[in-house]
Amino acid sequence: MSAVVAERTTGIALEIAGLRLRAGGGPRGRDLFGTLTLRIAGGERWVVIGPNGAGKSSLLAAIAGVFPIAAGQVSIDGRTLADWPAEALAGRRAWSPQFWSDPFPATVRETAVLARERGAWWAPAVPRDTAAVDRLLERLDLDRLADLDVRALSGGERQRVAIATALLQGAPLLLLDEPASHLDPAHQRLLLGLLAEHARGGGCVLASLHDLNLAWDLADHCIVLDGKGGAVAGRRDDVLTAERMSRVFEVAIESVEVHGARRFVSGPQEAASDA
Amino acid sequence: MQIRHALVLTALVAVGACGLGVLAGSTGIGAASPEIFWQIRVPRVLAGFGAGAALALAGALMQLLTRNALADPYVLGVAGGASVGALGTLLLAGSAGGSLSEWRIAGGAAAGAFLAAVLLFALLGRRLAGPTSTAREDSSTALLLAGVMIGSGCSAIVSLILSLADQGQLRGMVFWLLGDLNGAAHWEIAWMALALALAIVWPSARQLDWLARGDAWAATLGVPVARRRLLTLLAAAVATGAAVATAGAIGFVGLVVPHALRLLGVRAAVLLLPASALGGGAFVVLVDAAARTVVAPVQLPVGVLAAAIGVPAFIAMLLHRPAMRRGE
Repeated sequence: MSAVVAERTTGIALEIAGLRLRAGGGPRGRDLFGTLTLRIAGGERWVVIGPNGAGKSSLLAAIAGVFPIAAGQVSIDGRTLADWPAEALAGRRAWSPQFWSDPFPATVRETAVLARERGAWWAPAVPRDTAAVDRLLERLDLDRLADLDVRALSGGERQRVAIATALLQGAPLLLLDEPASHLDPAHQRLLLGLLAEHARGGGCVLASLHDLNLAWDLADHCIVLDGKGGAVAGRRDDVLTAERMSRVFEVAIESVEVHGARRFVSGPQEAASDA
Repeated sequence: MQIRHALVLTALVAVGACGLGVLAGSTGIGAASPEIFWQIRVPRVLAGFGAGAALALAGALMQLLTRNALADPYVLGVAGGASVGALGTLLLAGSAGGSLSEWRIAGGAAAGAFLAAVLLFALLGRRLAGPTSTAREDSSTALLLAGVMIGSGCSAIVSLILSLADQGQLRGMVFWLLGDLNGAAHWEIAWMALALALAIVWPSARQLDWLARGDAWAATLGVPVARRRLLTLLAAAVATGAAVATAGAIGFVGLVVPHALRLLGVRAAVLLLPASALGGGAFVVLVDAAARTVVAPVQLPVGVLAAAIGVPAFIAMLLHRPAMRRGE
């Protein structure tokens, strides 16, 4: 039993082999990136980095099974996505999209447990223990907001509810699209802590982020999509370098060591344009 | 706890409404001779309850499908088709000089509803069966637009029929359009449609809550998105068509009953759908009882009274919305 959410089964493995994606899905779209091959095992924390439109969200959605794959294969636990019964897959990976639709009134608690309430009432896919839900809401600093309408929340509060929904789904593989957006620094730390704990419990995390320092702190591995068709995947220390980041984002970025961690900084606007 | 109260309240209101409905007659409140009781009042209460329940259920379904709290059964265009069918039958019968049974009007309405539904499915079928979109704008917008277009076309045809009809026919047509339970003796259609619609949607009600949050997200939870959407649409079309064929185009019920239940805390579709049916049935029976007694022996069109009672009641609910504001 992990500290974050209840059950955790045997180790999870995600394999991506020769993956190619096309924006727009169809044959008329543009190639997002060449081919991507990698393997993610339980306990690992991966971050996807890249400029706007590079295909970060599409990659996460493709792994979740809701974005068409142009070529290659995605397998979870050794089975390709097509071979998984959709309902069983929901117990192995959780996908948190970048945007949520909240058309009707619903409390924070109701929204957080949405994905948890799978299976029939006499045979729930995830145990319906309210204690685990309460614990997570408290850890996400949502306990005071539990009975509020999600539509009354601020952007950062809504984002924390989305993280709660994903964690409470009870799946070992978390695919999180920009989970740190709208979060203040304190809640960013909180998120990192929760995700690290999830990984220590045997799960794995694949999240897209824009903040390079946050990416460094969260990840042990990193995928960089450069937006021009290039994709690199590997260990954080090798992939997340100032030189590569400068090249990918076309902004002069330098790195410094602070308390043993790599920090990425870029100079002021004028200095960058002089360079 | 509050949810349980809301559900119990809805059930009690439904029972009470039916009791009141069979006691109310055009001669005031009270018992009637067995013949009037069994042959007029009971069928009328059953017809009103079935139609109201089907409309409110269809409204809840359409709101979930379109992710829009302002959707109602009529955004499908199916009710518009029923109106065209019913009024067309009235017009043709009038010009043929024949008398017209209730059954033939209902049959015309049902045929119109069916044709509109077929058109809707033909327009949307490929779109809904296509790959699930991760975009923020997915199939719910297409559904809304197609339904509204069919409805607009139908209302133009209704206007055309009204302008072609002669004075004698006009009154019956207008009453039908306003929603009318006079002589609504065939309650069976609405109840069968209600049972069928509930049987289609209720077992997988949870999936409708997920679909309302986004097609792609629902798909990751194992929802067969295209199939669930098409079946739900079918259930809503069946319920709407049967309700309109039974009682005419009663407005307001399908929009407001699910909304009111949500304000009372009933949100999960597995509770919201049956509660909407109960609440919608109770609402129409109550309004019809009032329509028969308020200015008896004159009988008001139930649709008019539904709005007259429902609008202020709903505004009051909105203004006194208790829950979930910040700082409370």
